[in-house]
Amino acid sequence: MNDQITPPELQPYLDEPPQLRSGSFGKCAFLRLRFEKREDRSILAVMERRAPLLVQKSLYCDEGMPTLPVVFVITNSGGILQGDRYTIEIASGPGACGHVTTQAATKIHEMDANHATQVQEITLDDGAYLEYLPEAIIPFAHSRFLTRTHIRIAPTATLLYAETLLGGRKYYRDGELFKYDLFSSTVAAERPDGTSLFVEKFRVEPAQSAVTRPGVMNDFDVFGNVLLLTPPAIADAIARTAVSAWKPDEGWAAGVGRLPNQAGLVYKIIGGESSVVRAKIRDFWSLVRPEVTGCKVPPEFPWR
Amino acid sequence: MATIAELMRVLQFGDSLLPVGAFSFSNGLETAVQLGVVRDVATLRDFVRTAVEQAATSDGVAVLAAFRAAQTSDSEAIDRADHAVFDRKLNEEMRTMTVRMGRKLAEMADRVLGPSVVSEWLVRIRAGTTPGCLPIGQACVFTALGLSEQDAFAVHQYGVAGMMVNASLRLMKIHYLDAQSILFEVNADAEAAYERVVKHTLQDMTAFAPVYDILASLHVRAHVRMFMN
Repeated sequence: MNDQITPPELQPYLDEPPQLRSGSFGKCAFLRLRFEKREDRSILAVMERRAPLLVQKSLYCDEGMPTLPVVFVITNSGGILQGDRYTIEIASGPGACGHVTTQAATKIHEMDANHATQVQEITLDDGAYLEYLPEAIIPFAHSRFLTRTHIRIAPTATLLYAETLLGGRKYYRDGELFKYDLFSSTVAAERPDGTSLFVEKFRVEPAQSAVTRPGVMNDFDVFGNVLLLTPPAIADAIARTAVSAWKPDEGWAAGVGRLPNQAGLVYKIIGGESSVVRAKIRDFWSLVRPEVTGCKVPPEFPWR
Repeated sequence: MATIAELMRVLQFGDSLLPVGAFSFSNGLETAVQLGVVRDVATLRDFVRTAVEQAATSDGVAVLAAFRAAQTSDSEAIDRADHAVFDRKLNEEMRTMTVRMGRKLAEMADRVLGPSVVSEWLVRIRAGTTPGCLPIGQACVFTALGLSEQDAFAVHQYGVAGMMVNASLRLMKIHYLDAQSILFEVNADAEAAYERVVKHTLQDMTAFAPVYDILASLHVRAHVRMFMN
């Protein structure tokens, strides 16, 4: 954020919180992860962290892919608060694989001053394979959140990245849906030489423009956005098998599209409940991993 | 106040019958009607309004950026806006629509207006150095015509609404007078939309319409279809 001009959507939310100043100690989380290939498996070779984001160590707990280091990102603040400035850097070196997820849903707490931001840098070298599948984001009433994700990916690498956005705390009291002030998310991807692949920016301000109108969310409350950046042959295979359908009676709809500049695929899912969207993301992931690595996605742990 | 000559140019290049192929696209409406997302006048109005609102904050911003670049014949900045539009079209049919109509508009303007910023842009499209998206074409044409950025923005917004309302007459049971009412109503938002985005840069281009995106990708796979998107 520091090297960029404040985007227009944040202009109303620049007042300092009465508590800790924005971006001060304890509000300026940092995470740097780098996966590297070793002889028989990939490892988490670099891990730098600054609270409230934490990572303990990588685990080899994926039974479908025992060589895959799995990293759970933890927060010790219970969620994102006003004035928080997070930075996350994830890299996969040549031929390395990795899986990054979060321990629980990311809660963006109610705000009455300022905003919160998250900047992500994701870099994949030749032949790398990264699954970045965080749990859902839950924006509480009056939260203002801006996230920017910058991806730099080699043409032979594959990145599977999913973002799940809930409408809010649906079952809190009488229900809190689309009561947040701002959710702004930009994903920009490019090749290592700087050639742009695609840019996608959402700016959701439910009070300014009704989210429930036809064409936006209709009657659905949860939005899953899955990006698969991968070589064209893999993209072709996944595009043929991924389920695109309109099933409001079952509480979901999904569609796969081809990203510009042969970057891969985008898979969009909307659902009434987060469990449905989560299952669809898992179905898509279950197509991707075997196609790229020859390994399966195991059945989900019963307690997750 | 526009002169009569200026008004005539806006009318000609803002005409929904301009031969740039708008009639072959529904901008997602065909699938929306097939699946019942759009089923009556009220849902059509909301759906068109969503599309037009998204157009203002995404392609509309590129219209303004390209128009300002074209004023100073800054071809690099024009092409930057062109790539910005193309790289933000995550659906293949939406990309097809924008580059097909963009190129047709450039070819038409090249023939009708003679050498201008549009013909230079057309050369770069043919050389494959820039994609040739419709909003950029509109910006260049309106610069060549000596019109204002408000005119270019208005015609862009009108084009989106007009294309969808015209398609609705072929897709659903709707009275042609209701269709005109929707068009009139939706167009009334354009002034406020312009004010909202007038200071936005290409980095601020934004859209949020998951249902619309999903319908667009379902259309790619549809067996029976009248429109190209």
